[in-house]
Amino acid sequence: MKQMTIALLGQPNSGKSTLFNGLTGSRQHVGNWPGKTVERKEGYFAFDGKNYTVVDLPGTYGLSANSEEEIVTREYIASGKADLVCILTDASQLERSLFMLADYTGIRTPVILLLNMMDVAEQQGKEISSTSIAKKLGIPVVPIIAADKKSYGDLFKTLKEPETISTMLDENILSDLYKRMERGVFKQVFSLLPEEGIGVYSSSWLAAKLIEQDSMAMEVVWDALSTDDRNKLTALLSQVRDGSLLTGDCKFKWIESLLRDSVAERKKGAPKRSRFDRLATSKTWGKPLSIAIIILGLVLSMVIAIPFMGLFSFLLSALSLLITHGLSDAGAPALIISLLCDGVLTAVTFALMMVVFVFGISLVFGFIEEIGYMARISYTFDNTMAKFGLQGKAIMPFIISFGCNIGGVTGTRVIDSWGQRVTTMALSWVVPCAATWGVVGLVSSVFFGSGAVFVVLSLFAVALLHMVITSKIFGKQLIKDSDRSGLIMELPPYHKPKYKNLLRFVLNRMGDVLIRALKIIILVSVLFWALSYTADGNVENSIIYTIGTFIEPVTLWFGLRWQTFMAFIASAMGKEAALGVLASLFNTSGEAAGIWAAMSGQAHVNTSSLGGALLTGISKAEALAFIYAFFFNVPCLMAVASTQQESHSVRWTFRIVGYYIVTALLMATLAYYIGLLIF
Amino acid sequence: MIKLNTAKDGETGWVASIKGNTRFLNRITSIGLTIGSEIEIIQNQEKCPVLIFNRDTVIAINRSECEKIMVEVIER
Ligand SMILES: Nc1nc2c(ncn2[C@@H]2O[C@H](COP(=O)(O)OP(=O)(O)OP(=O)(O)O)[C@@H](O)[C@H]2O)c(=O)[nH]1
Ligand SMILES: [Mg+2]
Repeated sequence: MKQMTIALLGQPNSGKSTLFNGLTGSRQHVGNWPGKTVERKEGYFAFDGKNYTVVDLPGTYGLSANSEEEIVTREYIASGKADLVCILTDASQLERSLFMLADYTGIRTPVILLLNMMDVAEQQGKEISSTSIAKKLGIPVVPIIAADKKSYGDLFKTLKEPETISTMLDENILSDLYKRMERGVFKQVFSLLPEEGIGVYSSSWLAAKLIEQDSMAMEVVWDALSTDDRNKLTALLSQVRDGSLLTGDCKFKWIESLLRDSVAERKKGAPKRSRFDRLATSKTWGKPLSIAIIILGLVLSMVIAIPFMGLFSFLLSALSLLITHGLSDAGAPALIISLLCDGVLTAVTFALMMVVFVFGISLVFGFIEEIGYMARISYTFDNTMAKFGLQGKAIMPFIISFGCNIGGVTGTRVIDSWGQRVTTMALSWVVPCAATWGVVGLVSSVFFGSGAVFVVLSLFAVALLHMVITSKIFGKQLIKDSDRSGLIMELPPYHKPKYKNLLRFVLNRMGDVLIRALKIIILVSVLFWALSYTADGNVENSIIYTIGTFIEPVTLWFGLRWQTFMAFIASAMGKEAALGVLASLFNTSGEAAGIWAAMSGQAHVNTSSLGGALLTGISKAEALAFIYAFFFNVPCLMAVASTQQESHSVRWTFRIVGYYIVTALLMATLAYYIGLLIF
Repeated sequence: MIKLNTAKDGETGWVASIKGNTRFLNRITSIGLTIGSEIEIIQNQEKCPVLIFNRDTVIAINRSECEKIMVEVIER
């Protein structure tokens, strides 16, 4: 069967992913671009005896090589791997979104233009003649509604035509505009380049990019020029300062001429703003409204997730019971049963819970983005978040993290630059989730009574300081100075949500999330299980006890006894695990279960007897050290798994984990010695 | 001619000049702002990005970036 690769190219929000999902359904593969941290989405469909591969390129405003997303897009197009490029434009904002086409003109890969969002354009009273545009461009122009599969007929018809993959976009009109550019720079640069162009790029395209001071175009051209011409080129380009303005002007003139007589509009001018939008962008009400909506979103995603969580833990404990009985009847050794039920099944439960929660968060916050409100949040918090070097949208993951850090990390998905996204993840780990407060509340009230308030206040103050420092450290490596340039963003009009698309979009990802989560979580869980396994339930026979007591002289520097140190380590798996571990290690009464049960949160903890045991077991300064170590530790294994999932980078996930463990111990040490001074 | 960050709500005009480094110029033109393009100020409040309407799109631009954009206001 014949094979064909189609690449979807277009500005952000032009509907690429919607079309991608519409075309390929569930036949998708999500991975990474080789050596890059940008997500690579590929899907497949068959039509009229041909197999199609569709590549969903990252949304960028143009084809300059400034961000990693843009570089990926550029390299892919230059590679010639696509047989056909589909450029998507938003028909309701045609002039602006055609910039991508203008920026593409001169690249010699066959292209068709899709006028998406025809439904919105129609509502606005725009009449667009695709045939007239097609005539001027010399390529097929297809109106479509990506959100409505019934409208794909024209696209399929175009794909069927054999000439679709042989017609080229006419670049002459745009090149003539470039040639009339003031001071004649373009002409001079153009005359230095080989007439036939280089690779997929025409000389006109390359000359325009050179004038825009594009470094990748320079690399392409450099090898093709003689030394003499290189010098001439450098001298010419050094005179041009605002090249992008010059070429941008030509590109929009070209777009305007393209649309003249092709688009009829009812009215021009800014649309009337709704009362809600005024409120959402108001200086006084914008922020409280954002926070209220985010909290509401968090609660909603919990409501979606909790029934599933209950169901899964019920099913898995039933399964665990079955396996235990089945295997012990069959005479399997206790070690194997424990490995399967305690180690692996617990990990599966963890992973399922994570997926369910990620599902809820993705759905609710996908909805908020889908209707167009997320851009308003970004707008209202732009100034505040800029202090951390972040985008306004970063406020959302931070607030979600108060409920759960997994959700916070998942929530960073809406941030469009990778560096900013990873920095936001690193920062969101500091935010104490609900489970953190349970442990901090108990331990600090046991040791400090009403003074616990001061402990909590000090934690908040230090957490804020932590965020400032962390943003400096991570931001310095992850966020380029040029990325810090302030917000320039489109505020999309409010959309009616497309529930079906949203649900499909979220569901498509979940299988992938589950598989990756399972890998990491099973690995770590089994490791911990092995360390804490004892045949008779006596702690002193576990590897963890041996290691813990062996390294106690070192952990005491941080103010941590071996028990509190182990609780600290366990809290990196899940914050709520710390209590159970403390209880079992301090041998409190009513605690029959092994430490593994405690760690995986299955054991019931008797808090009042734990309080007593703690008071006799450790000093006030040591308690303070533990609270600090615990508070600033890695939030939980599932948050780590999500960070790896969302950042697409194992290296950075490890770095963040290492950073958190080190800083937590540092905080503990400081707290310990300050504690020694006070008490 | 005034800086964009000093424009008032409801004013209309056209972009007279844009300054800044290559990346900024690239970014701002690719979102649709070029010399001579018509804009309308939708909302300009202290400490918030300026909201403008240009080529059928509402765009938010950070205040400090607005200082690099000069606008010729059309009197009505
Ligand atoms: N009314 C309408 N809405 C659409 C249409 N196509 C897409 N949308 C909506 O437009 C929004 C953006 O669509 P996406 O598919 O996420 O856009 P994208 O091009 O993938 O965006 P990036 O991934 O950010 O580059 C979503 O809210 C879609 O539901 C359409 O034909 N009509
Ligand atoms: Mg997309």
